[in-house]
Amino acid sequence: MKQIISSILFLGIIFAKDGNNKEYNPCNHPLIRLAESKGLKAVPLKDIIKLRKLIKECEKSGGKDQIKKLYENDWKRDYKKAKSMASWTSTHAMVVLVSFGYYFAGKVLATKPGSSN
Amino acid sequence: MALLPLVGGVVKAQPKLSIDMGIGFYEPTLVGFDENETVQFPTKSIFNRNMLFNWGIYYEFFNNARIGYNSFTSYEIGKNILLINSEAVFRRSLTYRIFPVETFFRWKPKIELNFTLAPIWGRARIEMDTTPGDKTDDWNYFITSFGGSANPVSDMGATDAMISDWIGYSSLLGLRYYINTRLGVDIKAGFMNNQYKASEWRIQRQKVTGPELKIDDLPIFSIKIIYGLR
Repeated sequence: MKQIISSILFLGIIFAKDGNNKEYNPCNHPLIRLAESKGLKAVPLKDIIKLRKLIKECEKSGGKDQIKKLYENDWKRDYKKAKSMASWTSTHAMVVLVSFGYYFAGKVLATKPGSSN
Repeated sequence: MALLPLVGGVVKAQPKLSIDMGIGFYEPTLVGFDENETVQFPTKSIFNRNMLFNWGIYYEFFNNARIGYNSFTSYEIGKNILLINSEAVFRRSLTYRIFPVETFFRWKPKIELNFTLAPIWGRARIEMDTTPGDKTDDWNYFITSFGGSANPVSDMGATDAMISDWIGYSSLLGLRYYINTRLGVDIKAGFMNNQYKASEWRIQRQKVTGPELKIDDLPIFSIKIIYGLR
């Protein structure tokens, strides 16, 4: 019985040590994971400074390519979402364009009443 | 019920909030101040006539569309405005509060073109610090200088301000350059039309005639810095 208890304690100590020996990797931090999966703008404002520190740490610890990809994917995500107009938005844009053109064409071409005399 | 997943998807996918700050330029003709023969107002300059301070907040409520609030304000401050009894301090503001619906698309990954249509709720405000005992005489002298009936106000309270509200509309075309995914510079050009009437000013709940201002049919330009909060 003594042997069983002592062997359990011994194994527990060994496993506990294993847990502490895990290396801290800033590139695996949940904030970086969030930025990678949902974009930089998904990171709450209060965590931005922390994210910047993590990005620097990650770059220093050899994750330059990972960070480069994070930024690239963020640009691509925004561009993909907004590169073509959805639903009614193109009609709205056309109305603005026409009113803008009509107004400034009027400014250039219109004559004041009586100015032709 | 069938539309619920779609609505939920839209709301969840695009909760983008941004704030902006910048300046605008326009060219109003403030006849009531510039051609006033009774009261000597501050000399006009680019800062108190053409420059507008601008701030705003936008929410992206739909793919490629934002709504928000934007305020363009022109200020003028003058000291020693000679009235009957006082050498008054005069402050004037014209605030164009616009409620834009802006649609946009990305032409290039870093360049966005945007299109804005907006109703305007404008407000002009004139404040004066006069000598306490002679407020009514000074205000009557001041207001009569814009035309209208003689001695329009009979009772002044603690707040020495006259106010006028009007409605209008605006249309703007814009180009935005993103410096990074949160930060951008936005340049806009367009026009605004304001239904301002000089006869619709009020002071202490009394209707008075204010200065003649030509603020309809105005081209407007703006440049601002955008920061995406979320």
